[in-house]
Amino acid sequence: MKLSSAHAIIILYFLSTLLILFAVSTILYQYIAALGSLSEVIKAIGEYRILSALWLSITSSIGATIVALLLGIPLAYVFATKDFLWKSMVETLVIDVPQTFPPVAEGIILLLMLGPTSPIGLNLAFTFAALVIAKVFIAGPFVVSFVSRKFREIRKSGMNLTARSLGADQFQVFTTIFLPLSFNEIAAGAAMCWARAMGELGGSLIFAGVIIGQTETIPTFVATNSQTLLIPSLAASILVTTASALALFSFKRLMAKGE
Amino acid sequence: MALQITKLKAGYGNKVILENCSLSVKGSETVVLMGPSGCGKSTLLLSLVGVLTPSTGKMLLNGKSLDGMPIEMRNIGYLPQDYGLFPHLDVLGNVEYGLMVRGAQKTERQKTALEMLELVNLHDLSRRKIKELSGGQRQRVGLARALAIKPDLILLDEPLSNVDQLTKAEVANKLREVFGRIKIPKIVVTHTPYDAFVLADKIAVMIEGKIVQTGTPAQVFAKPKNEMIGKLVQQLEVKTITKK
Repeated sequence: MKLSSAHAIIILYFLSTLLILFAVSTILYQYIAALGSLSEVIKAIGEYRILSALWLSITSSIGATIVALLLGIPLAYVFATKDFLWKSMVETLVIDVPQTFPPVAEGIILLLMLGPTSPIGLNLAFTFAALVIAKVFIAGPFVVSFVSRKFREIRKSGMNLTARSLGADQFQVFTTIFLPLSFNEIAAGAAMCWARAMGELGGSLIFAGVIIGQTETIPTFVATNSQTLLIPSLAASILVTTASALALFSFKRLMAKGE
Repeated sequence: MALQITKLKAGYGNKVILENCSLSVKGSETVVLMGPSGCGKSTLLLSLVGVLTPSTGKMLLNGKSLDGMPIEMRNIGYLPQDYGLFPHLDVLGNVEYGLMVRGAQKTERQKTALEMLELVNLHDLSRRKIKELSGGQRQRVGLARALAIKPDLILLDEPLSNVDQLTKAEVANKLREVFGRIKIPKIVVTHTPYDAFVLADKIAVMIEGKIVQTGTPAQVFAKPKNEMIGKLVQQLEVKTITKK
């Protein structure tokens, strides 16, 4: 039987609706589940342990985003403007691999590299710094990826060369052309990096551990307590997903206003 | 002699585009580099700007060699085909840019920028955003910006190619008028004979990476050196007759 064009379109719409339903229902179901035991959820949200985990999630993610911006923007500039041997491989290693890397494996590697048996004698395991480092590895590539795409566009336009012909040296071109023209992409990369860092689990769990008030974040709290403390875990999930979603929505609105 | 190019050889990787290319530009004359697409006009321009490094040959600007000189030290005003204006700056910001990166004081650079905008008849648009300008206005902002640094040479890559046909003659005449006020050598690249004949004091015809004929528009028009140049000139004759 031959499928008519109208039927094919209906099937396409149906399949896309399935995916929307799946994503939206997964996000929303936590709120529906919370309604059943609302007073307990509210009480759990007010508990010190959850508030402290939320605070550590937010601050370590901000720290990771700052580090990712400080290191990621210069790296994006190098990727976009310099051609060197094995460039494509290095880009894959720095941008793509961390996003697909098993996070627990990342945790183990970081623990071996910067833990009690560190070959360089630097032990950062089970500290706030460990939390930040674990998050930078997973979430930092968002900054490099967003920003280098825009930097490449600028290079392709030749504006950097025009600026140099007017007397700007390479650093002036970076600060007066590349950076201001990429403001939106830098902000987008930072927003995505922060949101991803908020949800990071594997690396933090192994490298930073789960020390209440010191390294326990919302994802590590949920991972270690979901079997025994279901309601507090649900409350914690609601907090972290709501914070990330609000940040991303606000960011998108700001960007839309700017355009 | 303002600019002297001698036996230049340049290209991309192993591909040679310019070979044995020589050209001289005197005083404040406007030389239009004309030739079919892909003949090496832009390669010559990019070699002068400093984007490409020629493998052999010499480029002397006011007696100074350009070989190995960084782009920002050459003091050459360059207007790319799409004018290369910076969209995050307004008209004045664009024209001031070169002076700003050279460390000029704000009052000094604003004064110079406004003078340049007056030169190209755009002083009343100094606070406009780039996206609010027409193609012809953008071109003149780009020219004002290139002139603001008081360059020793001006290079324009296909300045009329982004101007629509209806306003092309007007824009070309305005450009010609501005050229008359600029007392430095100018090189204009075009593949269109009409643009060449309107803008040039001297035409240099380039074919396959070499300059094959130079002369005033009247000379090139009356006595094309070979069949290919003859065909280019013929195109112009047909257009002129059709217009009349």
